[in-house]
Amino acid sequence: MLEEIFVAVYGAIVIAYVALNIRKGSFIFDASKSIPILIFVFVLASVALALMGTPPAEALEVVMKIGAAGILFAGVAPMIAATVGLFRFNDEHGPSIFYARNHITGVIDVTASLVMIFVGILILRIDLVAVGFFFFLLIPFSGNALANAYYYTYHRRLEK
Amino acid sequence: MSDFLVTLAGTAFFWSALIFLVALTLAGLGCIRLALKGEAITSLMGVSCFTTIAGAGLYLISLPELFNVGFARDTAIALLVFGGVGTIVFARIFRTEE
Repeated sequence: MLEEIFVAVYGAIVIAYVALNIRKGSFIFDASKSIPILIFVFVLASVALALMGTPPAEALEVVMKIGAAGILFAGVAPMIAATVGLFRFNDEHGPSIFYARNHITGVIDVTASLVMIFVGILILRIDLVAVGFFFFLLIPFSGNALANAYYYTYHRRLEK
Repeated sequence: MSDFLVTLAGTAFFWSALIFLVALTLAGLGCIRLALKGEAITSLMGVSCFTTIAGAGLYLISLPELFNVGFARDTAIALLVFGGVGTIVFARIFRTEE
């Protein structure tokens, strides 16, 4: 029961923090400062657990798995935001709404690939990192190809 | 203490992955809606996004720390790679139709 309470509180904090960042439109704490601080906290927690008698490898695995859980929780808020956007922006906004939808699907793609990369790093699954990274490299090309095809097939004709 | 921590990490990872999978499913519904309406390129965009969601979800399912469905891994890799490449190819084909 104690574990579930911890997970609920941890998840609520991470999701709320990411949702606040999305609402603000920029980082509340700058990522260049917050990420090194987080890494330092996780290293400190691993050392503390090792000093308390937990085997070092197990302590590191526990801390990294909790970090991976944080990454997965962090991916929830952008996914929900993108879902709301996909349902909200309908055709009444005109032909240019395609580009807004293209951006929203890009958010989904980037969130999925970044979650795969960082979770793969933290649970030590290199195949997950490799596939996520390959997909991350493909995203801009597919988004650009879609926008390009839409412009030359429909949008330019409408403008004429 | 050690057993408690291992259980705690396992529980946190399981529930976070489960909640992320639910969020992926919701986004997948939006993508299906996008794929079923509008012109061909909007549909292609919806399908492309859905392959991403299905691939990421299947890859998470295949992890031994979660559900350990081994065969889902190959499907996930195929979806992620061919989904992206197929989107680019079909977008080029649609573009040259003009």
